[in-house]
Amino acid sequence: MSRSRPEASLRGRLAAIPSRRAFLGAAMVLASAVSLPAQAQETIKIGVPVGLSGANSVVAPSVVQSAELAVEEINAAGGVLGKKLELVVADDGSGAAGAQKAFDQLVFRDKVNVLISMETSAARNAGLPIVSRGKVPFIYTSFYEGRSCNKYLYVDAWVPDQQVAPIVDHFMDKNSAKTFFLVGSDYAFGRGMLEFSRKYIESRGGKILGEEYAPMDATDWTPIISKIRSANPDALITSTAGGAPNVTLTKQLRAAGIDKLYGNLAVDEGTAKSMGADATGIYISASYLTSIDSAENKTFLAAMGKKFGSGLKTPNDLSVPQYEAVYLYKAAVEKVGGTDAEKIIDVLDDVSFKGPRGVIQMSKQRHAPLTMYLGQVKPDGSVEVIASFADVDPGDQCPNLK
Amino acid sequence: MQVLILDIVTTAAILFAVSCGLLISFGVLKIINFAHGAFLTIGGYSALVVTQMGWDPLLAYPFSLLVGLVLGAAVERFIVKPLYDRPLDAILATWGLGIVISQVITIVFGRGVQFVQSPVTGAVELFDGSYSVYRLAATGGAVIIGGLLALLMHRTRLGLNARAVIMNENLAQALGINSSSVRLIAFGLGAGLASLAGAIITPLSSVDPNMGVPWLVNAFMLVLVAGSSLLALLIGSVVLGGLQLVISTYGSPILGGLTIAVAAALLLRIRPKGFVLD
Repeated sequence: MSRSRPEASLRGRLAAIPSRRAFLGAAMVLASAVSLPAQAQETIKIGVPVGLSGANSVVAPSVVQSAELAVEEINAAGGVLGKKLELVVADDGSGAAGAQKAFDQLVFRDKVNVLISMETSAARNAGLPIVSRGKVPFIYTSFYEGRSCNKYLYVDAWVPDQQVAPIVDHFMDKNSAKTFFLVGSDYAFGRGMLEFSRKYIESRGGKILGEEYAPMDATDWTPIISKIRSANPDALITSTAGGAPNVTLTKQLRAAGIDKLYGNLAVDEGTAKSMGADATGIYISASYLTSIDSAENKTFLAAMGKKFGSGLKTPNDLSVPQYEAVYLYKAAVEKVGGTDAEKIIDVLDDVSFKGPRGVIQMSKQRHAPLTMYLGQVKPDGSVEVIASFADVDPGDQCPNLK
Repeated sequence: MQVLILDIVTTAAILFAVSCGLLISFGVLKIINFAHGAFLTIGGYSALVVTQMGWDPLLAYPFSLLVGLVLGAAVERFIVKPLYDRPLDAILATWGLGIVISQVITIVFGRGVQFVQSPVTGAVELFDGSYSVYRLAATGGAVIIGGLLALLMHRTRLGLNARAVIMNENLAQALGINSSSVRLIAFGLGAGLASLAGAIITPLSSVDPNMGVPWLVNAFMLVLVAGSSLLALLIGSVVLGGLQLVISTYGSPILGGLTIAVAAALLLRIRPKGFVLD
C-alpha cells in the first residue's frame, strides 16, 4: 500500500506529456510569428499551418521550402495583381489541439487570405470548422484517406481511389497474386487506405487473408508478423504512420525472412532511400517521384537546389503539391481579379497549373485527376518508375459539392 | 504454437533487457529514473555513431554501455545527488533531463529516422518456418545481461553493499557502507544498461529522438510490479510480456499495446507486492 502514493504522482507526470508538446508547439508558433514581421495591406497572405513538431516534423520542412520557392518565384516575377505574396507559417503540432490554435491564429489574428497546407488528417479535421467560420479558402496539399468535404476546401493531392489501384493491379495482373494481407497503423489514414484496398481487391476477385492494425507508436510487430507467416499470402500491403512505424515494420518483416510482394502505401522516396537494403523490392505508388522526366520537374529541382543548397530537403509527394497549390491560388486570384473568398472558391476548379507533376486542375468534386507512378525501390535506394497511369480519376469524393 | 512460445520468450527477453537498468537504479535510489527512455535513445544513437564511424557493429554494445555509464554517473553526481532529500523533485529532474536529452539529440542528429547496421541479419529455419536471427541473438544477450547482473548482486562485495542499501540505507551507512558511492554506481549502471538495451533494440527498431518513449511506459510498469528483485522482473517480463503477445495475437495489437499497463495496475490492486515472492 505504501507504494500507491508515489505511483499516483508518477502517473500524473506521465499524463503531463501532451502539455509538454503543446508548450513546445506554442513556443514554435511564437518563434515563427516573430520571424515574419507583419506588413502593410499590399501583400496577399498565405497561411501555412503545418506539423513542424510531432509526427509530421520530418516532412514539414520540405513542405515549407517548396512554398517558399513558389512565393519567391511569383514575387520575383511581379507578384499577383501587383501585390507580393507573404507566407505565414504556424506549427500545428501534427495534431488536433495544435491545429485549432494554428488555424485560429492564422484565420482570425493574421487574417490570411488563403490557407495552403499539408497536414495530418487529425489536424485538417480540427481546422475545418475554423475555416468555415472564418470563410477562408483552404487548399489541402497532403494525400489523405479521402471524402473530406467542405465548402472552402480543395485538395490537389491523391486519395486512395487513385493510389491503391496501380499497386493492386500490378500485383494481380503482372505477378498473378491472388491472396493479400493488409497491415496498418490504427488511425484515420491507415484504416481509410486499407478499407479502400480491401474493397478494391475483393471487387477484383482477390482474397484478403488478414487485416491487422497496430497502435500508432507501435515498435514491436512480432504478433502481426507471426500471423502473416502462418497466413502465407501472395502479397502484403501496408499503410502505417510515416517514419518510425513504417521503418520498424519493414525491418522486422525482413528480419523474419518474409519476402512477399510488398506494396507500401505510406513510404516516401526519402525514407525508402535511408532504409537501405531493407527497402529493396518495395513497391510504392505516388503522384510525384524525383525521377519524373519532365522539363517542369527538372526546372523545379534545379531551382530548389539553387535556393536551398545543402539545406535542401528532398522534394516529395507531400511538398510538390504544396508548390503547385500556391500557383493554383495565384491563377485563381488573377482570374477573379481579387482575393474575395467566395469568388476564389467558385473558380479554383477552373484554373490549372503545369507543375512538376504535370497539369494539375482540381476539377473533380474539389479533387484533382492525377498522373500516378508505380515505382520499385532498387538496392541502391533509388526508385525506378515501372509504370505510369495518366489522369487517374479521384472518383466520387464530394458528390454534394460541384 | 512453437512460434508463439518463441515470440513470448524473445519478447520477454527484450522487455527484461529494457527494464533491468531502471530496476537497479530504482532499487538503490528509490526513485524512478524518468530519463530511462532517454538513455535508451542514447544507446540507439551510440550504435548509430558506431555505424557512422564504420566500426564493427559488435562494438555498438560495449560502446553504448560505456556512454551510458559515464553519462549516468555524471547525471547522478550533478543532478540527482543534490536532490537526495527531495525524492519527488529528483524524479521531476530526471523527467526534465529526459526532455533535454531528446532535444539535444534532435539538435545534433536531426529529427529524422536513422538506421544502424545490425551484426546479424536474416532469418533461420526453425520448427515449421523461419525466425528472425536477431531476435534470438537479442534473447541470448538478455540472458547474459541477466546472468551477469545476478552474479554482480549476489556474488560480489559491491552487490552485497547494494543489497544492504536497498534493504535499509541508514543501517547500511551505520555499518560503514558508503551509500553515496553505491548510489553513484547503481545509477550509472542503470543508465549504462538502459543505453546497452537501446543499442540492442536498434536493429529491430528505428533510431529517432523519441525511440525510448514507448519502452519507458512498459519498463516503468514492470519495475512497479517487480520492486527491486531481478527474479520478480524476470517473472513479470514473461507473464506480462506473454499476456501482451497473446492478446495481440488472438485479440488485437491495439489492445495488446495497453496490456502491460492495465495488467500491472490490476495486479498491484490485488497484490501490492506484485511479483515479489518473499
